[in-house]
Amino acid sequence: MNVRAVLDVRTLSPYSYRNDGALWWGMMGMIVIESAVFAMLAASYFYLKTQSAEWPLGGYDAPKLLLPSINTGVLIASSLVMHWADKGVAKNDQRRLRVGMIVAALLAAMFLVLKYVEYSDVPYRWDTNAYGSIVWTIIGFHSVHVMVLLAKTMVVATLAMRGYFDPYRRLGVIINGMYWHFVVAVWIPLYVMLYWSPRW
Amino acid sequence: MTGEQQAATEPTPGVGGDRHDPSTPRYDDVSQLHDTWSTPPGIIGWLSAVNHRTVGLRFIITAFVFLLLGGLLALVMRLQLMSPDSAILSADRYNQFFTLHGVTMMFLFAVPMAEGFAIYVTPLLIGTRDMAFPRLNAFGYYVYLIGGVALYVSLFLDVAPDAGWFNYPTLSGKTYSPGARIDVYTTIITFVEVSALVAAVELVATIFKQRAPGMSLSRMPLFVWAILITSLMILFAMPGVIVASVMLALDRMADTHFFVPSGGGDPLLWQHLFWWFGHPEVYIILVPGLGFISSIVTVFSRRPMFGYTAIVLSLIATGIISFGLWVHHMFTTGVPELGSSFFTAASMLIAIPAGVQIFCWIATIWGGRPVLRTPLLFVIGFIIVFVIGGISGVMVASVQFDSQVHDTYFVVAHLHYVLFGGMVFPTFGAFYYWFPKIVGRMLSERLGKWNFWLLLIGFNVTFFPMHQLGFKGMPRRVYSYDDAMGWGAENLIATVGSWIVAAGMLVFIVNVIRSWRNGEVAGDDPWNADSLEWLTPSPPPQYNFAHIPVISSRWPLWDQDRAGVYDVVSGIRSDRREVVVTSAIEADVQGLSVLARPSLTPLALALGCSVAFVGAIWSLIWVPVGAVLAYLAMAVWHWPVHDERTPPWRTPERDPRLDSTEST
Repeated sequence: MNVRAVLDVRTLSPYSYRNDGALWWGMMGMIVIESAVFAMLAASYFYLKTQSAEWPLGGYDAPKLLLPSINTGVLIASSLVMHWADKGVAKNDQRRLRVGMIVAALLAAMFLVLKYVEYSDVPYRWDTNAYGSIVWTIIGFHSVHVMVLLAKTMVVATLAMRGYFDPYRRLGVIINGMYWHFVVAVWIPLYVMLYWSPRW
Repeated sequence: MTGEQQAATEPTPGVGGDRHDPSTPRYDDVSQLHDTWSTPPGIIGWLSAVNHRTVGLRFIITAFVFLLLGGLLALVMRLQLMSPDSAILSADRYNQFFTLHGVTMMFLFAVPMAEGFAIYVTPLLIGTRDMAFPRLNAFGYYVYLIGGVALYVSLFLDVAPDAGWFNYPTLSGKTYSPGARIDVYTTIITFVEVSALVAAVELVATIFKQRAPGMSLSRMPLFVWAILITSLMILFAMPGVIVASVMLALDRMADTHFFVPSGGGDPLLWQHLFWWFGHPEVYIILVPGLGFISSIVTVFSRRPMFGYTAIVLSLIATGIISFGLWVHHMFTTGVPELGSSFFTAASMLIAIPAGVQIFCWIATIWGGRPVLRTPLLFVIGFIIVFVIGGISGVMVASVQFDSQVHDTYFVVAHLHYVLFGGMVFPTFGAFYYWFPKIVGRMLSERLGKWNFWLLLIGFNVTFFPMHQLGFKGMPRRVYSYDDAMGWGAENLIATVGSWIVAAGMLVFIVNVIRSWRNGEVAGDDPWNADSLEWLTPSPPPQYNFAHIPVISSRWPLWDQDRAGVYDVVSGIRSDRREVVVTSAIEADVQGLSVLARPSLTPLALALGCSVAFVGAIWSLIWVPVGAVLAYLAMAVWHWPVHDERTPPWRTPERDPRLDSTEST
């Protein structure tokens, strides 16, 4: 086979620091899958709601608004802090990366604690009726996602503490951040659905 | 040499990072490529293999074994139904057999077989050296293998699922199905779907980012288009069955009330979620088959495909419309009339893109110089069988007709015509077409023709009488019937047909075993084909291509062959697993990516997930245990290997693109 070299790629950098590489597509695939899962859960919520004469089932009041609304703010704040940390490493500000990651993780942990406080106090359980089942499942599923964020970020933060990242080697931070923002963003429609739609 | 190998690289795609000695980079050294891309020897090496052709071949062989197992179950069921009142199987065993037959063919054969071919062939077709996430590939395979084996073990432990492959509550709920059988279904199905999902993500990423320079989307082979559409469908469809399965598992294990009417739940919710997945699933199985057909028709008609653009648009249309059909499985549940009308219309609409493709293939064969080798025979078999299945499909799309034949053998006949015709015939065509590339030897044409005629005749003898059985009112899934029903003759014919199918399968196995050792040596391109996989030796070397080609045509081998010289890329490092990364639409060169090397972590992750999923059948305590194991495996998987002597990257100043395309 005769070949003729027409394209020299020797001077190109490894691709990994840019945000539209294969890994970006991979993470987008993951986000599409998870969005579809959350959409299925939301569709099930509304399906059960349309099949029921009263909602919430069992004559309970619609869920209280104050604590979960504050908590939603906490979660959004964690996303902003993570973004700030990500921008920090782009400027090679190692301290900003470390501080940002820790603060974001603390905010996410606070979200979980407040969720726990809120749900120790609701009058229905998952085995009370279909309303309890779907609400507890959605809350549980999302909370597991926040736990996964914490677990995942622990690994990335350990690397950050060791000075592994710099402006050119920060794909780990970018991808970790993408998933973080997704878990926060998907909560906002869930929050509206779980706390406001029963009042409509 | 060896020392340099070890120092070369340990890339870690998750966190980013590799190490190498920048003082001695080596480029385009073909003799070094083999060492860089080969799998380590020994049992450890075997378990840590990640190369796409190794994983793809494992998928193909495993899926074929499951095809045989599912087929054996069907043979026993046919034996049971051969005559009235026979007692080969008890009702209880029969329930397990038909459930496992359906689950095997849908989840353990059809989808993994298509994935196996996609994983094996796609990187060759698009001119790259491996898939974007090689370790994820290996993980997907182990998950599939463990899930499939667990399902068959359950048959021997007498805990195999027995509520049909679509497993409707309330039959599958706690009240009517106590014991572990349905728990096996809910956990194993979810588990096996993970395998399909990771393969889909990975195929999308690979197809969008690793096509050879110049292979814009408009020059992409039709098979790759089919795989891209299939993968995107998987991403949106599979979550439906996962959510449904998890809800059912919770109903059974944690006393929730999703499908329990007395607690405000609704069994129909299962049907909506399941068929949201289940109908696209039919097309997820069909579309790769259409891809096989397009490859084979082009090559064996000896001319470029007629209507390339029309076929691509038809594939896309099929992918989209397939999500608007699910309710046609539920016409008899009392859907509102407007809903029925919409889903009837959509169900009939999807015949249009299928028809467009069939006309394009016929036009291609018509206008070409067809060479009637075995792969093309299977294409013709596909067209005959699939058109019959399509016609009965348009019939059941009508609510009135469907109400008559719902859950009868008419539907059994229809779905087998569509799936056997749409999947099995193209897959056998693909076996004959790509076997020379995979093994380096040709399959026997003489046995191939026996194989084809036995399958075609056996299939029709088995399933055509079932239309009649359906009209005569024989319901599906009955384990026996009374002589007075008058169903004996058709059932006897069908059973004889199943033996002919089995004989056809046997011929194929003999053909493979004989040809693997003694077949005619194939050479690089035995078919004078058009696409890139035939540019490289058969079987291909570990690194696929000695030089990555640059593409300027939709049929690169046919068009470049005339010049006799192939344009290639230079400057790719041969001392680590580098691949060229290109833009998603136009395939302009963007940079390079270093792929992961073999590792045991995919196996460890799969085992961790197995502990969680399989353990959940007995106790939920295994879920957190498995999760921790999986977490540890993933942390090791992604942990970068440090080498203090070397800086992390090539110096970025050398790339002027850095500033302009910096991410935000």
